[in-house]
Amino acid sequence: MSRELISKTANKSIYRDGDKIYKEFVEGFPKDEVFNEAFINSRVEAILGQYVPKVLSVECIDGKWTMVREYIDGETLEELIKKNSDKKEEYLSQMLDLQLKLHNYQAPKLRQIKDKMKRQINELNGIDEGTRFDLLSKLAATPLHRKLCHGDFRPSNIIVDNDGNYHIIDWVHATKGNASADIARTYLILALSDQESADWYLKNFCERTKTSIDYVQNWLPLVAAAQLTKHREEEQALLERWTSICDYT
Amino acid sequence: MEKNTNIVDSLESLQAKMSRMREAQKLFATYSQEKVDEIFRAAAIAANAQRIALAKMAVEETGMGVVEDKVIKNNYAAEYIYNAYKNVKTCGVIEEDKAFGYKVIAEPLGVIAAVIPTTNPTSTAIFKTLIALKTRNAIIISPHPRATKCTIEAARIVLEAAVKAGAPEEIIGWIDVPSMELSGEVMKEADCILATGGPGMVHAAYSSGKPALGVGAGNTPAIIDDTADILLAVNSIIHSKTFDNGMICASEQSVTIVKSVYNKVRAEFEKRGCYFLKGEELDKVRKTILINGALNAKIVGQSAYKIAQLAGVEVPKTAKILIGEVTSVEPSEEFAHEKLSPVLAMYKAEDFDDAIAKAERLVADGGYGHTSSLYVNPNEHEKLAKHQAAMKTCRILVNTPSSQGGIGDLYNFRLAPSLTLGCGSWGGNSVSDNVGIKHLLNYKKVAERRENMLWFKAPQKVYFKKGCMPVALDELKAYYDKKRCFVVTDRFLFENGYTKPIEDKLSEMGIQYTVFSDVQPDPTLANAKAGVEAMKSFKPDCMIAFGGGSAMDAGKIMWLLYEHPDAQFSDMSMRYIDIRKKIYTFPKMGEKVYFIAIPTSSGTGSEVTPFAVITDEKTGVKYPITDYELMPNMAIIDTDNMMTQPKGLTSASGIDAMTHALEAYASMMASDYTDGLAVKAMQEIFKWLPTAYEDGKNIEARNHMANASTMAGMAFANAFLGVCHSMAHKLGAYHHIPHGVANALLINYVLQYNAYEKPVKMGTFPQYDHPHTLERYAEAARACGVTGKNDKEVFDKFLEKLTELKHAVGIKDSIKDYNIDEESFLATLDEMTENAFDDQCTGANPRYPLMSEIKELYLMAYYGKDYYEPSEM
Repeated sequence: MSRELISKTANKSIYRDGDKIYKEFVEGFPKDEVFNEAFINSRVEAILGQYVPKVLSVECIDGKWTMVREYIDGETLEELIKKNSDKKEEYLSQMLDLQLKLHNYQAPKLRQIKDKMKRQINELNGIDEGTRFDLLSKLAATPLHRKLCHGDFRPSNIIVDNDGNYHIIDWVHATKGNASADIARTYLILALSDQESADWYLKNFCERTKTSIDYVQNWLPLVAAAQLTKHREEEQALLERWTSICDYT
Repeated sequence: MEKNTNIVDSLESLQAKMSRMREAQKLFATYSQEKVDEIFRAAAIAANAQRIALAKMAVEETGMGVVEDKVIKNNYAAEYIYNAYKNVKTCGVIEEDKAFGYKVIAEPLGVIAAVIPTTNPTSTAIFKTLIALKTRNAIIISPHPRATKCTIEAARIVLEAAVKAGAPEEIIGWIDVPSMELSGEVMKEADCILATGGPGMVHAAYSSGKPALGVGAGNTPAIIDDTADILLAVNSIIHSKTFDNGMICASEQSVTIVKSVYNKVRAEFEKRGCYFLKGEELDKVRKTILINGALNAKIVGQSAYKIAQLAGVEVPKTAKILIGEVTSVEPSEEFAHEKLSPVLAMYKAEDFDDAIAKAERLVADGGYGHTSSLYVNPNEHEKLAKHQAAMKTCRILVNTPSSQGGIGDLYNFRLAPSLTLGCGSWGGNSVSDNVGIKHLLNYKKVAERRENMLWFKAPQKVYFKKGCMPVALDELKAYYDKKRCFVVTDRFLFENGYTKPIEDKLSEMGIQYTVFSDVQPDPTLANAKAGVEAMKSFKPDCMIAFGGGSAMDAGKIMWLLYEHPDAQFSDMSMRYIDIRKKIYTFPKMGEKVYFIAIPTSSGTGSEVTPFAVITDEKTGVKYPITDYELMPNMAIIDTDNMMTQPKGLTSASGIDAMTHALEAYASMMASDYTDGLAVKAMQEIFKWLPTAYEDGKNIEARNHMANASTMAGMAFANAFLGVCHSMAHKLGAYHHIPHGVANALLINYVLQYNAYEKPVKMGTFPQYDHPHTLERYAEAARACGVTGKNDKEVFDKFLEKLTELKHAVGIKDSIKDYNIDEESFLATLDEMTENAFDDQCTGANPRYPLMSEIKELYLMAYYGKDYYEPSEM
């Protein structure tokens, strides 16, 4: 096998073999999660077509569940931004175009983002019941939309191929819901590494879609709470601050 | 230890609790006012007694607020609520109006779900449980997890006292271990939700599917005008803003000061211990109070000193309020938001208008519908009005600390005391009031059937008897001292000298007069306007309309246009159901000119009716105008004026008068007063019309017919007419059949149509309780001498008698017999039918006609067919 390791985290290794990408999960990784990712990817393929590298198969190789998808020859937006930091805003603008395009699609068959967040907030340890109560009541009041939300829309999940076409990967968190929730999630991801990009992104989203900033900000405590489930120590302080807001009079 | 089944910590235990509470409420709903008031009083006393203990608990548990201020809130919730409602009736009949047969019965809603916030936990719990008790509702409390213990304790104190005073056990309940899931369930299962809390909770309440009284957030802007009492203004704001560390949602969030007094105001704030943030301090506090546009939970209800510490700003421990002098009122400015803490934004306004513009924007930044505040000299009415008009808030407080002012009954005495302040539709709420007991009751309104008041109206003076005219006209001089008389008549009467006696009499009395003799048959608006022009130059103080229906109607219209030149006939002729409730208000008549009507035929009755018809010659539209203002002031019925009626006129107008009597008698608005006149008219017409027709010189016959016609007029002036006239009006208009003849051709059909005892629809009027027209006609017939073994036989014979009368005066049998072309009749039939249906006369008919029925009646009358019932076809 001429598999070439591209990246590796605690749970998975990504390999390339010719025109295929192998996403190999560690032994013992829940099988249902793997099939779930393949399943969601397939559903999004049906909606978005050209923008989504197709899942080709799910296999068990040496006791390790592996999802196989098309390989896209190109660079991620993250790499491009790193290379051409002077063109950061241009890339962010293209990223926003792409995200707005996603939100034009309805995704009735995907899970509802509110249901997913409710589960995450309910499962969250280490927050006081008052905060959980406020977050859940805030969540309950958010609108019930059906727009396609990527759920982890970030520069590293966008690949620009050699012809300049965009491809979006990692759809495991995709849901249907309110576009501002998806933007809030991206804002959080960006803010964790680069507050300036995050602010630029939010401001431009609001201007382009004529959305009021507080409508998006309303989601921030919720996406922050959801992110707390990942238990990343370096993020803890910021996330706790973001969730510590008052929703009563 | 056995598990306490009363603890509510799961869906199952909650459902069990609520079903027990439902039972308790059923029992409570049967309690008397006296018992309820006793319970209400005992509960209020108990809550008041624990005001300090509860205040301490609340501060300890929530870590927010000031014990001493919470004591006031608890005391207020018990005392002011009790005082406001102690004598208010909330059980059973609370209002009764025997004359109108109307009463209001107050009933509880059932089980109320109460969402209680952390900011005012114990006082809100006391407030809500007390108003629930007073209204015989059960109430289940959903506390906030951060204030569970103290909220439950407040509810428990009220419950125990209530039960001790005789309330059912479990009439008050609560969730012991709160969660969103249980809150949601409570809201879903309750009969009504009383939600005080953040937008999330209020939204949840409104989307639960149950009726909700949810109230929202505020962002109270205070304005200090340059006419304000600055000492009072500044110290009121400090007093309000520091109250319980700024946690009352009506509390001031910003103060906007008109430029010229800015420094003075600022100095007073400083003097009283408020801290003005300087330079970087401002930004530090900005970043502390808001996180991503939302209020930082850690500053809510904290002291100014503590908030400064959190922000890393050094202030004296005694600092009362942190003031940020800022300029932007946009939401991007942190200070522009609601802060629920002793942090205040301060703006400098160019002038009063600028201050209002700023306040308007601040209200839009999250305070829609809540509260706004203005400090101004109370004599500045224009400024007060401007402010009131601009603020989209349900409470506008003047010269008042807004925390204490908004909750009512402390600094003003007509706002209801309440800890739940509605923000109206602007704030997305169902109420704009301060919520109170009136919102927790269902009001049953019991309304018994009542009949309308009826009336009898006639001209002030009706003079009659052969030869009475000159005597009656004496009054113009002797009694009214009139100087100038305008006489309206038609060319025929004028040219043949019939007006001479009037002219002679007027000359004799020395009254100037002029005669307008140009009235045309079916007078037009142009015709009436020509008369009005003559009136304008002559300037009469009285007028005499002399002639048949056309002259009298034209006279009435000239009278109207002369007194009210801007009269709009399209408005005046608007259809109505009840003359008293007409949309159009008729102008007052008779202020310039005294109006006398003298008929020369018998007759239209126009001399005693409030009706006139005028045709707009440009559009062909006929305007039937009805109002008692159009009633002549005097009617003179003098047979001398009627002796030369030609045969055709005698016949047609005589049958017209008969139809007036018959329709007025069957009308839904017929009364004993009009019946007497109608029956007398019928008797006289049956008896004397044939003679008057055959022998026009017969004075006795003419006398009887003259009076019969006027009596029939008085009957229908008050009871109105029916569908025979509706149809005759249109038949006349479309096919030029004289009005009296048209009535004659239709009346027998209409009588049979109305006498039918199973009408498709009966008329709508409370007096008209069942279709009884057959009985009514039989009654009239018997009065006219017809006999028979039952109503039906009497009625049939009555119809024959009527047919005989018509034959005796030369009326033919069908419309066709009057040479109305069949093709043109059928071509206009549908239009005629719809217009007849819409005629004003239709409204009083005892049978409400379908258009298809009117059409059949027309067809029967056209061909002279025997009557058949249209609904049985």
